[in-house]
Amino acid sequence: MYKRKLRGPLIEGDKTLGQITREVLNPMEVKPGKWWYIAMGLSLIATLFGVYAMYVTVTKGIGMWGVNNTVAWGWDIINFVWWIGIGHAGTAFSIFLLVLRQRWRTSINRSAEIMTVFAVLCAALFPTIHMGRVWNMFFLFPYPNTRGPLWVNFNSPLIWDFTAVSTYLLISASFWYLGTLPDLATVRDRTASKVKKAVYGFFSMGWTGSSRQWIRFESLAFVLGGITSVLVVSVHSIVSTDFAVGIEPGWHSTIFPPFFVVGAIFSGFAMVMTLMVIVRKIYRFTDYITDNHMDAIARILIFISLIMGTAYATEIFISWYSGSEYEIFTQFRNRITGDYYIQFWGMILCNAIIPQLFWFKKIRRNWIALLLISLCINLGMWFERYIIIVTSLSKDFLPSSWAPYTPTLIDVGVFMFTIGLFISGILLFLRYIPIMAVSELKGVLRIGDKKDD
Amino acid sequence: MTRSFKIGIFDDEERFIASVKTLHEKGFLIYDVFTPYPVHEIFNMLKRKTRLPTAAYFLGLTGAAATLGFLVWACVISWPIVYGGKPFNSFPSFVVITVVITILFVALGSLAVFSSAAKILPGRENTIFDLRSTDDRFVIVVETVAPDGSDAENAGNLMMKNGASEVVVKKIEKVIS
Repeated sequence: MYKRKLRGPLIEGDKTLGQITREVLNPMEVKPGKWWYIAMGLSLIATLFGVYAMYVTVTKGIGMWGVNNTVAWGWDIINFVWWIGIGHAGTAFSIFLLVLRQRWRTSINRSAEIMTVFAVLCAALFPTIHMGRVWNMFFLFPYPNTRGPLWVNFNSPLIWDFTAVSTYLLISASFWYLGTLPDLATVRDRTASKVKKAVYGFFSMGWTGSSRQWIRFESLAFVLGGITSVLVVSVHSIVSTDFAVGIEPGWHSTIFPPFFVVGAIFSGFAMVMTLMVIVRKIYRFTDYITDNHMDAIARILIFISLIMGTAYATEIFISWYSGSEYEIFTQFRNRITGDYYIQFWGMILCNAIIPQLFWFKKIRRNWIALLLISLCINLGMWFERYIIIVTSLSKDFLPSSWAPYTPTLIDVGVFMFTIGLFISGILLFLRYIPIMAVSELKGVLRIGDKKDD
Repeated sequence: MTRSFKIGIFDDEERFIASVKTLHEKGFLIYDVFTPYPVHEIFNMLKRKTRLPTAAYFLGLTGAAATLGFLVWACVISWPIVYGGKPFNSFPSFVVITVVITILFVALGSLAVFSSAAKILPGRENTIFDLRSTDDRFVIVVETVAPDGSDAENAGNLMMKNGASEVVVKKIEKVIS
């Protein structure tokens, strides 16, 4: 139940239904501003640099990266885990809040879902090219082959990971597309251009908004939401088993699955905040994405930040309490102090300390502060994955095989490729697909007015 | 066969709901209603039901059984290999893939069920009675069958009385839905 008197309307400015359609679809109907072309140009340059890096990686091999025999996982797996974490935005935001019937999700869920789709695409790229021989990627599928048939190792976390990530990509893309169907139909029915009508007509798949379609639509959204909320928790848990099942000090720990899931939701929500602060500023959508919405995200972020702080403290405590000298060495000599202390303290500062500023209402209502803090969290989460992967690998049981790790320009290039892909994808989305779920906004317009809501 | 429809267009959700209610009570043949967002009162009134959750449940059962069955067959019967001294049939590690693939089964399966039940397919062109129904209008479509047109007139009057902004007649050769 949403108490309108207590919490205010979800959409401000006393809008009519037609006004919502016009205002939200407006960015698709007018030419985008200069900023759009500049941002698109920059992200395409980043992508081009990335294409070069990928070309070098594929033709010469992953020896072009900073990885070595000791630190066999470097930026590629760091970025993979980082992107997958961001990819939890859509599902955590959209689906958890759908299942919990939090109606304030309506103005943000669409962007969160599209971020998920692109982030998971970027993530999936890293393990793929990390294989070195990308053309043999199909070996990961358990297909009937002439070698026995020899199946993949179903007991390996890496196969679980492959299954989980590809399932996640398929389902989050379907969920996003399902949500856009009614809005694509709205565009189809409003436009005067024949080309647009044909294109959006094709992709809206015959949506009419009849009661027969709506009841099934809602039912399917709940079925998908209910079943996918399991996936929100399971995907990053499975990613964490890639580490936790190994015996490296600092990895071999039962805290990993919940710790990873919380971290993923943390970075996902932070990225949602980054994008929303920018979108509501540029498109002047403050009536739809109100200060209350940003406030609510900020509150969730403080809570998660506290969990992250507790998790870091727990890791340190347990490594001491375990009495294992390798665990103690990794935590105390190779993380808190040692070669990588800057990344470690950066992580603590960005993830556990800076977000505490959200306790202040003034900060929660200041868009520059929101933008900066959300960027800090994204940086902090990247540091976290760096700390987990590089410190554990670089100095483990045998001092003779210790090695330092520094990334190369090619590593940076591959990362740039994904960032360019992500940003240009988001820009295309802002231009060609309704930014907010128009039909859902209309549904919550008068929420709390009627008795049954 | 040409079918004729009386179409009432409403600006306001409450008047629209009231109108559907009276039309339904008086026994008019409501072909369907078209709204910009789901209106739950209508679902109960017109007794719209969906068996999608049931389908999803059975899809899930099928998916779980099929995946677990395949894993056991592949690892125990087809090509048994010892990994790290574990038994061939290592159920705990099969759980992970079973859960994930079950979810995939449910998701893709219910999408397919939705597609066939709600008539949603790429490029499909279902009949749209009024273009504004995806924007801000609530549309009631009453199918009229009486040869003298008496029910069309009555339905039209009723909808006007209930506050329709417009009432139109449409004759459609072939209704796709």
